[in-house]
Amino acid sequence: MRAAAFAFGLLAAALATPALAEHHDEVDARNETFAQLPNWPGYWVAEDQAGTTITGLAPVATAATGSSFTVNIMPLRAANAPWNAEGRRRWEAVRAASGARKATGWGYPMMMGSATPLRFLVTPEETIIINFYNEARYIYTDGRPMPSEEDMWPTTYGTSIGHWEGDTLVIETAMVTDPSTFFHGAPPFSENARYVERIRLDGPDRLVLEFSVTDPETLDAPWSTQAAWVRDPGFDRSIILAWDNDRTGNEDGLNTIEAGPTE
Amino acid sequence: MKKYLPLAAVLAAVAVAPAATAHHSFAMFDRSRTVTVNGTVRQFQWTNPHAYIQVTVPQGGRTVEYSMEMGAPMYLYARGWRPRSLRPGMQVAVDYNPLRNGDPGGVVLDVRNAQGQAVGSNRE
Repeated sequence: MRAAAFAFGLLAAALATPALAEHHDEVDARNETFAQLPNWPGYWVAEDQAGTTITGLAPVATAATGSSFTVNIMPLRAANAPWNAEGRRRWEAVRAASGARKATGWGYPMMMGSATPLRFLVTPEETIIINFYNEARYIYTDGRPMPSEEDMWPTTYGTSIGHWEGDTLVIETAMVTDPSTFFHGAPPFSENARYVERIRLDGPDRLVLEFSVTDPETLDAPWSTQAAWVRDPGFDRSIILAWDNDRTGNEDGLNTIEAGPTE
Repeated sequence: MKKYLPLAAVLAAVAVAPAATAHHSFAMFDRSRTVTVNGTVRQFQWTNPHAYIQVTVPQGGRTVEYSMEMGAPMYLYARGWRPRSLRPGMQVAVDYNPLRNGDPGGVVLDVRNAQGQAVGSNRE
């Protein structure tokens, strides 16, 4: 009986060996691919918002004049994009209504240039970009194509496919809901806009973004801009809290603080 | 508490409003004036997108509650603040830029406890 069990074991091991070897080859290949990919650990904040204080303002926003109003530290608002007539109409409509609106997050593309820190989790199959509001983007880099139009529908963060060109992550994003419907300070691109981002490390502690968008519905021509992130030494983990206490109100066209809750 | 704004202030606010910084424009605060209020913490709202300190101050025989806005808790954490850095009943002195509309409140620059010590570090 014991001899039979031993023989059976030998047979099973012999049969399993090719599969095990194949599995190990796959693991080795993935590990090798992984080891060659860039690694961008840490908590990245928009460069122009580095050093943001408890006031909620970055030194660069106040240093030059003592005012926060002279520096455009949110380039992805796209204030200087070549808006066509429809784009301008949307822009003005959004601005006219924004004072009375509340928000629950940044959405895309605003999350890529806000004061909220980002993390970049790079794997061979996908890169996850996630901020401190748990707003996440999943960038598939496993070679798949962009899904067909039948398989996509507009969402706040869109659908993203990526690939690596050397150490640069290239991301194409489609089917983003008009960003201004989610956040009132966002650009009013149409859901047919196509976004391309190129992200790479520039030195050990600076990530740079080249951002471009094409949208025949709202733009006369493609628009592009740049952004960059640096690490803020004050963060040692993601500090996650819901965006659920927006007390910014509006009176006579000027923002104010709504009364606090009474207990 | 609502007051009519001088025309110049309204024009200034409108002119600068598009350059948003955080989740809203800072045009709502008079960044040219820094004032200090001494009061009692009623509540510390450790919330997004902004934290708020609710401070009560006896004024003219009644109690006035100030709404003091701060940045997001993630940045307070990075500058040495924690949810229990302020507790109800604490005596505090708050330096702030006041709201332009005259309501009791503003944006916090610095906070000191009853011993005059800075809360958190407010440093990079």
